[in-house]
Amino acid sequence: MQLRVLLFSVLREKLGTDALDVTLNAPATGQDLLDHLAAKNASVKAYRSAIRLAVNESYAPAAAPLHDGDEVALITPVSGG
Amino acid sequence: MDDLPINQKTETTWIHLATAPLDGAAVDAFLRTDAAGGLTLFVGTTRRWTDGRETVRLAYDAYAPMAVKTMRALADEAAERWPVLKVAVHHRLGEVPPPEASVIIGVACAHRAAAFAACRWLIDTLKAQVPIWKREHYADGSTEWVQGQTPDVPDTPP
Repeated sequence: MQLRVLLFSVLREKLGTDALDVTLNAPATGQDLLDHLAAKNASVKAYRSAIRLAVNESYAPAAAPLHDGDEVALITPVSGG
Repeated sequence: MDDLPINQKTETTWIHLATAPLDGAAVDAFLRTDAAGGLTLFVGTTRRWTDGRETVRLAYDAYAPMAVKTMRALADEAAERWPVLKVAVHHRLGEVPPPEASVIIGVACAHRAAAFAACRWLIDTLKAQVPIWKREHYADGSTEWVQGQTPDVPDTPP
């Protein structure tokens, strides 16, 4: 499956891009996506325990199944206001 | 931030996300209604000094479409929890120097207790749940993304 991964804040800065196109074998969950990204990128690995996922603009648990074409945002601790 | 400003205004709810300065007077005017006995406005501003360290500006980043969705969901939830007549949730993105506002929450109710409670809940929950991030720019030239609160995530997919 093809996924669009969105990056913000510290992860956008560390990875030097605001989005990644990722291919995973189906079936896959948010956990599988994080495993895949953490294996390839030290910054994702470093922040991993603090990262929450938003799938298609809604927060979702790491166990959530992903689907082809999903937009998945990696949400590090938020600091609006 | 190509998709900004986002402005969603109904008779009772006004959600706004933009890089331009926020307009507190416009929020006050929106909240006025004959049925209200009081309104609360919380205005969050960029503070210049923190523990002796000088901030020259904050810079805000957001997952804009989800931020707006979440701000609107919080406004709707506040209106379910308290007898809210009108509610406004505005946030600014990009650079915000002291003492300008980055956020304005406004709530109008028949009585003040509900207006204070709903406003307090809205700003506290916005800071914990809305996908917006601030970066401190200090006077010495250094910068730092503020690691704030880890959002609550539902146990089951939406």
